[in-house]
Amino acid sequence: MIFGCGTLTDLLVPYLKQAGHLVTVLTDDADALERLRGEYQVKGVYITEPLMQDYLQEGDIEIAEVFLAISGRDHQNVLVAQIAKHIFNVGTVICRLENPQLQQLYAGLGLKIIGTSTSGLYEETRQLIDG
Amino acid sequence: MYVTIIGCSGVGYHLAKALLAAGHEVLVVEKSRSKCQLLYDELGSVVLCGDGTDQRVLKSAGAGRADILAAVTGVDETNLVVCQMAKETFKVARTMAVVTDTKNESVFHFLGVDVVVNTTHLAVTSLEGGVPGRPLIHLLDLRVPDTELVSVSIPEDAAVVGKRLGEIQLPPHSFVSLVVKRNQAQPAASNLVLEGLDEVVAVTVADEEQRLYDALTGV
Repeated sequence: MIFGCGTLTDLLVPYLKQAGHLVTVLTDDADALERLRGEYQVKGVYITEPLMQDYLQEGDIEIAEVFLAISGRDHQNVLVAQIAKHIFNVGTVICRLENPQLQQLYAGLGLKIIGTSTSGLYEETRQLIDG
Repeated sequence: MYVTIIGCSGVGYHLAKALLAAGHEVLVVEKSRSKCQLLYDELGSVVLCGDGTDQRVLKSAGAGRADILAAVTGVDETNLVVCQMAKETFKVARTMAVVTDTKNESVFHFLGVDVVVNTTHLAVTSLEGGVPGRPLIHLLDLRVPDTELVSVSIPEDAAVVGKRLGEIQLPPHSFVSLVVKRNQAQPAASNLVLEGLDEVVAVTVADEEQRLYDALTGV
């Protein structure tokens, strides 16, 4: 089950479908969802109101083995990832966070975090400046 | 007590005002400069302009010595992040959050937020109470899972009118806690006789709500 429908989801869905997995995508981006449904026959749940648990259940989170919270909004990712992990006991929960403070906080609280490493970017940029 | 309030919408503003009047030390953290200015003009230097989800801002707000942190922005997930940060990073003893998605109430409790106020639920309860001939009013969700305090108005033609409380068959997990008669509350003694228009306040669980209602209002 994937929460969010950006570039990362676009890349992951064909890969997951090809590997034979059942995929459900939850998003408030109706156009992106329609496109994914048409191209890859994924199950889509269109989110219109802040009723997160209902939408997760509509997407059959009870049978999900992996949950990816990878929308572009850190705070929403943190909320749904924790619901998936602690309320629905999904085996593997991955949460995307861009804010380095939140990356550290929620890694400490037991979430698997993915996201750009700001310290890495800083080093890289400095090296490029220094030649 | 030192209370840090995150977010200065209607709730944040009125909470700050009430706490200041009660003699507490208050600091409101708000992102919008214009809202900060308004608050400053009215309440003085009790406002810090900044993002309450940023640890550096919380640090300069003195979150480390706060007795209570109340996250009252209009966005549920932001309130959760603020409370978890306060608890984990600043060891704030008591965190409070406002939610609008009713199902977030139990989630936030589960994730360690000490007090969760569900504004949607509060609004619905008040509105329900204003509708004549209302069925069953939810007064309060108790901290025990699924358990709630409800109020039922006894119709004048109900079968229970004239009966003693001890004689009335209620579902197994429901019991009457008090009865309001003509604006006077009385403890639910088993020999108390019910009359039409009495307001019965009872503890029940979600599954038994309907049966409790039927037992008290059936003709």
